[in-house]
Amino acid sequence: MRRGVLPLTLALSVVAGTALAQDDGVTVAGTGRDTLGLPIPALAPAHRDAFARGRSLFRQAWLIAPSAEQPDLDGLGPVFNRLSCLACHVKNGRGAPPDGADDVMRTTLVRLSVPGDGDGTGAAPRPHSAYGEQLNPDAIPGVPAEGKATLVWHPVTTTLDDGTVVALRTPELRFRDLAFGPLGDDVRTSVRMAPPVHGLGLLDAVPDAVILEAADPDDRDGDGVSGRPNRVPDIASGRLLIGRFGLKANQTTLRQQIAGAFLGDIGITSPLFPTENCTPAQTACAAAANGGTPELTAADLDAITLYSAALAVPARRADPAAERGEALFTAIGCAACHRPTLTTGPYPALPALENRSIHPYTDLLLHDMGPGLADGRPDFQASGSEWRTPPLWGLGLAGVAGDGAFYLHDGRARTLTEAILWHGGEGAAASGRFRALPAADRASLLAFLNTL
Amino acid sequence: MPVPLRRRLLAPTLTILAVLSTVAPAWALEDQVVVVTSYPEEMTGRYEQAFEKANPGVDLRIVWKHAREAQALLAAPGHGGADVYWTPSLPSFPALRDAGMFRPLAVDRAVLPGRIGAQVVSDPQGTYEAFEVAGYGIITNPAALAARGLTPPTSWRDLAQARFAGLVSLPIASQVGFSPALYESLLQDAGWEAGWALIGEIAGNARPITAGGQVADSVQTGETVAGLTIDFFARSAIANGHPVGFVYPPRTAFVPAQVAITAHAPHPDAAKAFVDFVLSAEGQAMLFHPDIRRSPVRPDVYRDAPAEQVNPFAQNGGFAYDVPLGLARSPLVVALFDRLVTERLPETAALWQTIHAAEAALGPTPAPERAERLARARALAGWVPVTAQDAADPALSALFRARRDTPDADARARALEATWSEQVTRVRAEALALAQQAAGL
Repeated sequence: MRRGVLPLTLALSVVAGTALAQDDGVTVAGTGRDTLGLPIPALAPAHRDAFARGRSLFRQAWLIAPSAEQPDLDGLGPVFNRLSCLACHVKNGRGAPPDGADDVMRTTLVRLSVPGDGDGTGAAPRPHSAYGEQLNPDAIPGVPAEGKATLVWHPVTTTLDDGTVVALRTPELRFRDLAFGPLGDDVRTSVRMAPPVHGLGLLDAVPDAVILEAADPDDRDGDGVSGRPNRVPDIASGRLLIGRFGLKANQTTLRQQIAGAFLGDIGITSPLFPTENCTPAQTACAAAANGGTPELTAADLDAITLYSAALAVPARRADPAAERGEALFTAIGCAACHRPTLTTGPYPALPALENRSIHPYTDLLLHDMGPGLADGRPDFQASGSEWRTPPLWGLGLAGVAGDGAFYLHDGRARTLTEAILWHGGEGAAASGRFRALPAADRASLLAFLNTL
Repeated sequence: MPVPLRRRLLAPTLTILAVLSTVAPAWALEDQVVVVTSYPEEMTGRYEQAFEKANPGVDLRIVWKHAREAQALLAAPGHGGADVYWTPSLPSFPALRDAGMFRPLAVDRAVLPGRIGAQVVSDPQGTYEAFEVAGYGIITNPAALAARGLTPPTSWRDLAQARFAGLVSLPIASQVGFSPALYESLLQDAGWEAGWALIGEIAGNARPITAGGQVADSVQTGETVAGLTIDFFARSAIANGHPVGFVYPPRTAFVPAQVAITAHAPHPDAAKAFVDFVLSAEGQAMLFHPDIRRSPVRPDVYRDAPAEQVNPFAQNGGFAYDVPLGLARSPLVVALFDRLVTERLPETAALWQTIHAAEAALGPTPAPERAERLARARALAGWVPVTAQDAADPALSALFRARRDTPDADARARALEATWSEQVTRVRAEALALAQQAAGL
């Protein structure tokens, strides 16, 4: 990381309020339940029909093939997690983890792999021979579902420097009803809670050079924060490109991210992923009818990509306490990874997003977050303890729909404080400084995060 | 999963007691229940989570199908593996009942009356039960109305006024699923001829809408100031903070969505548990959720209703929607709507704007001759080429119902439609001429 941590007093005097500028074209005011589903104000009239079509596809419960009435919307599964995008990205926001042994994952999933080479590049995860890359807990009638997964929580506590005790919880992943036998001792798992989907077009429009300018893979500046890009195959171009989407940055473009989710989560094939997700062990899955080849047309993939790209970012809300909190955010080192400002470049699919200064609070790079958050499942260049810095914009609206707010990749954190305290590895120093802050400063920092 | 002997013996004697709470039954349920529905994901997801929480170990599997394909699935041997049909589809439930596809439900009428006022919403034969009702009304954009200095409409008749020219979102009956019953309710309330005249005059102010949710969208964005809608689209938009208003006309219909267990449900106990759940106080109160906002069929849960919730048991204007009549002539109404409205929107707007302009120009006391011409113009503009008597003829309704599956019926229906179109063209031309003459144009 080439921008070191500023001394606290200097930082407070220099950076307060720097990221408050809002871009009216791509942000929307308000804190309503539907705020994360609103289009950017700059959406051109020519794009409104595609946005509406994309929204319809996002909300659509996919049909079992064949459907004579709506052949353009059939092809669910044969194995799948949910029937629609909306089912996981509830109100376009983040999901929630399961709640104990009797529950199941609804807006959370489990990625699977085994050691080895997945695609001949030497870096792709190797899918599990029976269950594939992801556990699909549901299936169309006549096809066995793969099994259920849940998380059982174990309480732990941690004590801050001022003696405040914070309750945390660690997840234990459990499986049941596995249809094709045990997963095996060598299985690698990664629990992923659905992330929010706003602002993705702006991240798609960030040039590689802007991402790379913050990379410091060898930590040459010695600040303990490195940051490196994931490099993954881009299916459309056939090239190895910087990954920027997915919790481990394992997808190159928004279009590819969406197509991957359609296949992995709903079982819908697309021009980018034209093969159904049935493993050789799943004969009934392979024999089931499909909804066309592919099931999601290129035009519809374009429409839902435009919809996602055009979802606005919530505008910052005013809070007097946030000003100091914003300065602290930089001063204690959070901004080293959660970069407040990026710039966008050319974006022909939605020119309204081009050449803007945006405030996503991410560097889109991978960072080692330590053993506490490690999933032990490498994903292309990302190691088993590396995660892509998640954007923080919209953070203050997590839970606005009334279903609770959960944070981190598996939803273990129930508060922002818990989320900060889980930061290890490259985030340990910043987390440690947070622990050392007086309670009022911690509150200011949280107030700032809640204005995002 | 094999059904234990004890359950097999118990199942036929069990009754669906909606008064039961969601307390898990003493016997073990099957490990899954397969529910066929066309409810939106926002709704099914919440019910799935709540039901599974109340019944640990039972996997609620949703099979999402539109009504027509759901009906085919449920009528197939073994019902395609389905245990429960749970959906808003007025025609499907009686048809499947008549085909013997449902098993009896015994319901406690003390908590589930099965009717709203004089309107029956559950199966009189006891095989399917109302789960929720939805009413029809007017969604408005208060800011857009105020900006134009317009008083908010409160009745269907208001939407026909000249001040709303070009500002009314009108769902197209052949394309927006909820709208045929909306127009049917208007026809039943106003009468066949008067109802069509009113629909035509509203259409004179209309912008066409071809998908249900787009009525609310178009009003919300200010493209129009008001729209004809089913209530939950508008009420959910309001509950989610969107700046729209909603009003029920003084008399409106509340139409039911229903739930039933299939005759040969492979998971009968879990199916019963699911039906018990959705009809329980907890399941009914979930209908108040901001993303659902439909109206429960249990009067007792209205005690905890959101402030703006209308209780249809207490306020439905005494209007009893005739479901069988609506079902019988729905295809005919849709066909007429397309011929009278959908295909003629610009012409209809021009005609009614001319009539309204003439009425405004002539003032409250026009010369008798002009008044007569104008009255004649108005009558012809709202004319429907099928009389009330013909509309009541079961053979005509049957013809339009059969056209989808029978080429011969379709050919005969097309011939009739061509005749109607020719007549309407001629009559409306005369109406336009009369209006122009009345105004001295």
